[in-house]
Amino acid sequence: MATQTNTLGQARRGSKFELYMWFFTRVTGILFLLMGAFNLVYANLEGGRGNLDVAAQMRWAFFPISFHVTSTSVEVVPNFSNPFWQIYSFLLVGFAAAHGFNGLRVILGDYVRLPLLRAWLNALLVGIWAFVMMAAIFLVFVFNQ
Amino acid sequence: MSRIARVTLPQALAYRGGQPMTAWLLHRLSGIGIVLFVSMHIVAGFFIYGVKGPTAEIANAVTTFYESLPMQIFMLFAVLYHALNGLRIVVLDMWPAMHRFNHEAMWVQWALFLPMFLLPAALMTLGTYVQ
Repeated sequence: MATQTNTLGQARRGSKFELYMWFFTRVTGILFLLMGAFNLVYANLEGGRGNLDVAAQMRWAFFPISFHVTSTSVEVVPNFSNPFWQIYSFLLVGFAAAHGFNGLRVILGDYVRLPLLRAWLNALLVGIWAFVMMAAIFLVFVFNQ
Repeated sequence: MSRIARVTLPQALAYRGGQPMTAWLLHRLSGIGIVLFVSMHIVAGFFIYGVKGPTAEIANAVTTFYESLPMQIFMLFAVLYHALNGLRIVVLDMWPAMHRFNHEAMWVQWALFLPMFLLPAALMTLGTYVQ
């Protein structure tokens, strides 16, 4: 296997983790745009036009949940109400958390030089990510309004 | 082991990277902002509906903080900028030949971003304070 050298002069070989995360970040980034467009179109087809204020439209496009439109008088289908919306919401949160926490890992790698400190901070990041995912799973699958 | 040059703060502030540096900085800051906000939002929801102890009080305070208008407008800025800039990065990564038009692409990006951000932000502000 060819050995690549990055700007830090460290030899990279073996693990393709970085390559996969790079690809994952691009793919999920485009996916979020498509999901946001879908959410916006869906909310407006369901009667949001003229009823949702701008802030609610933005919140709904960001994440489709009925809490996000309580400030306005529209009845958009309550979420987490059927398996489709549960899985959709879970995938959105899961991809977003992986995308975001991977970004934080990259930023840590840019500024933290001590390998041991970086390893501990990465472990802390994994811990926070796991806690956030646990909370998200509870909110999407366990908690019902 | 690491060969990163040590840069002092005045040196860093004097560095004028122009548009690409602005884009890099805003992409990074908006990314950190989004991760912090989304994590805070999910965890606050968990403490309000899942735990319901004295921690719910703290979670409610956090909720009023991020439901305030300035935070909503900041999140609109961060999400929109991160999305548009991320799209530009994806295009550059997938078609490296597009680097030729990077300079133009950055101005196109601002031309898309400013109305997409300022119009909803103005409407949100008016909706809160006028009516």
